[in-house]
Amino acid sequence: MGRYLARRLLQGLLTLFLVILLLHLLTTWAIQLNGNPALAFFGDRVPSPAQYAAVAERFGLGDPCYAQVGNPCLGPFVTRLGDYLTGDFGTDLRGRPVTDIVGTAAPNTLRLFAVVTITWLLIGMTLGSVAARKRGRLTDHGIRGLSIMIDALPVFVMLLVYRYVLAVPLYTWAKDTFGSNSTVALLFKPSFSSDHPMITVIVPGILLGLTGSAAFIRLVRAAQLENYNSEHVRTARSKGLTERHVVLFHIVRNSSIPVATAVGIVFTEALAGAVITEGVMNIYGMGGVLWKAVRDSDVSLVVGIVSLLAIVTIVVMILVDLLYAALDPRIRYE
Amino acid sequence: MPLLQVRDLAVEFVTADGVVRAVDGLSYAVDAGQTLAIVGESGSGKSVSSLAVMGLLQSPPARIPSGSITFAGTDLLTLSRKQHRAFCGEHIGMVFQDALAALNPVYTVGWQLTEALRARHGLTRRDARRRAMELLDLVQVPAARQRAREYPHQFSGGMRQRAMIAMALAMDPEVLIADEPTTALDVTVQAQIMKLLAEIQAERDMALILITHDLGVVASVADTVTVMYAGKAVEQGEVQRIYSRPAHPYTRALLRAIPRLDHKGRQLDVIPGRPPDPLHLPDGCAFHPRCDRAEDVCRAAPPPPLAELPGGGSAACYFAVEVMADGKPAERAES
Ligand SMILES: Nc1ncnc2c1ncn2[C@@H]1O[C@H](COP(=O)(O)OP(=O)(O)OP(=O)(O)O)[C@@H](O)[C@H]1O
Ligand code: SF4
Ligand SMILES: [Mg+2]
Repeated sequence: MGRYLARRLLQGLLTLFLVILLLHLLTTWAIQLNGNPALAFFGDRVPSPAQYAAVAERFGLGDPCYAQVGNPCLGPFVTRLGDYLTGDFGTDLRGRPVTDIVGTAAPNTLRLFAVVTITWLLIGMTLGSVAARKRGRLTDHGIRGLSIMIDALPVFVMLLVYRYVLAVPLYTWAKDTFGSNSTVALLFKPSFSSDHPMITVIVPGILLGLTGSAAFIRLVRAAQLENYNSEHVRTARSKGLTERHVVLFHIVRNSSIPVATAVGIVFTEALAGAVITEGVMNIYGMGGVLWKAVRDSDVSLVVGIVSLLAIVTIVVMILVDLLYAALDPRIRYE
Repeated sequence: MPLLQVRDLAVEFVTADGVVRAVDGLSYAVDAGQTLAIVGESGSGKSVSSLAVMGLLQSPPARIPSGSITFAGTDLLTLSRKQHRAFCGEHIGMVFQDALAALNPVYTVGWQLTEALRARHGLTRRDARRRAMELLDLVQVPAARQRAREYPHQFSGGMRQRAMIAMALAMDPEVLIADEPTTALDVTVQAQIMKLLAEIQAERDMALILITHDLGVVASVADTVTVMYAGKAVEQGEVQRIYSRPAHPYTRALLRAIPRLDHKGRQLDVIPGRPPDPLHLPDGCAFHPRCDRAEDVCRAAPPPPLAELPGGGSAACYFAVEVMADGKPAERAES
């Protein structure tokens, strides 16, 4: 087990290195082809070479390689890696430390994620279990239809409809009925408020969780169905156990194994969804910051945030593997 | 009155292609201390009939249009499904064919052995652990203490089947149904498991229903035999009589198909043809396309009824008496 973990961690580090390298190459080529973002700093003015060099230096883009198309700029890459190793993640274009930005943005994303996870777990497990139990009946068809419908509506459509069609009248109504600082009013506030980071994130989180739950419903249903007709469930029934006991200990418990593997997939999906959700709903989170950083060609910020997201993803994948082994005694890592 | 009595049982499956009558008018009875062997080829309805006894058929697609299953005076088919299963949990244990599939892979063997005792009789963990060890000792699994903590996949095939038997015995049932308990095992282990089942049955004065497709296996353990073909009992009787003087050509063919040591190297008399498609049973006697004794009367409806034989037992063949008089089944028919 220990050796397996060590191997997975090493693999993770290698992946991380490749992610950072790839990002570095992509941003480098973007700069070489589109022009140094340091120029944007001066707006319409034409800077003197000395001024330009000073600004480019401050942005960490002073190396002459950024002017040579095709040059992989390995020098700055090595410097960046060295900085990262010492815990220095650089600054954004305005000189604010990346760690500082992440420190304020990450908690909001975490809140969003908490709501998303709870939503899809609750909806997916409940509807998936009900559909499996009522297999072939009207309820089952209804739930499956619903899941396909949810799938057909991309998250940004849901968000846009909510934000521009539903949120405003709901918000106005709630403000008039309960007062503008009431919980209900804040719940329907069309955009994020950093004074109430939790409550204003609930509705976008539920919408995002709902989209993720569609595939999850079907997965839970399929996993449980397989167990409903399996021989070991028949054995459990032959022992005279109540159906409730059988469902809980033999169907839900056994179907948790394939369901656990989906956690990793849903997680990465939710990560991508978070970028969009935070963008549309103006949530100051990792996704929102990344969205903006890409638009501003803010290289340090992009590389810093994506590296962080990569670390989180790798850790989640390792945890999912460990969870998988914990759930299925037939799997032993060495 | 026998301990467990099945009367005129029919089981049907409603499928997209039509209604399959998997069990048709089956009757049998077992008493405490007795062993009944149910023998027949694949698809003859052996498992379906015992699942009906246990209340384990999924309906839909299964339904039971007629029949009764009486355990010590209680007709199980009049109970609700819930009551039926709870009742069987107390009184009838079932051993399934493939122990690897029939045991839950995510729980330890000890946990599964005593699951019902804990859930239904409120045994404490401590008592449950002790009971699990007793049960494993009973089925002669060595190192019971440690084995109880292992998972099914860590057991060998034979040990797993022993654990399966121990589980079926956990509630001290009066009847044990073993559905092909040895088909998944190799020959030496098969013999050991059979011996174990016979010992336990004798020791506890249990009724044992032994399901198999191999008549050879049951010779030394069974008291009575029911031979099934296409959902029907085609011959019933004492094991000795069935072995020495089978009354149904199908039983005779099954006996000839038993591998015999003294016939080593000789080709086995496999029964020609295949079991019929349950959706399109032949007219008349369902066995006639494969029967070496068939005549015109066999092909015309109605099928021969299960009729009493002189000297006990019964068979569903127009020529039962003649077949019985034909004598030694083990001899090859000249051809
Ligand atoms: N769920 C089902 N739907 C439709 N038909 C079924 C179903 N289950 C069983 N049957 C039918 O019932 C018949 C009897 O099956 P059963 O499992 O009892 O055979 P068996 O005698 O136990 O054979 P084996 O030796 O292969 O275990 C089969 O012909 C099969 O077609
Ligand atoms: S009734 Fe005819 S076909 Fe059927 S078993 Fe007897 S002899 Fe064979
Ligand atoms: Mg069977």
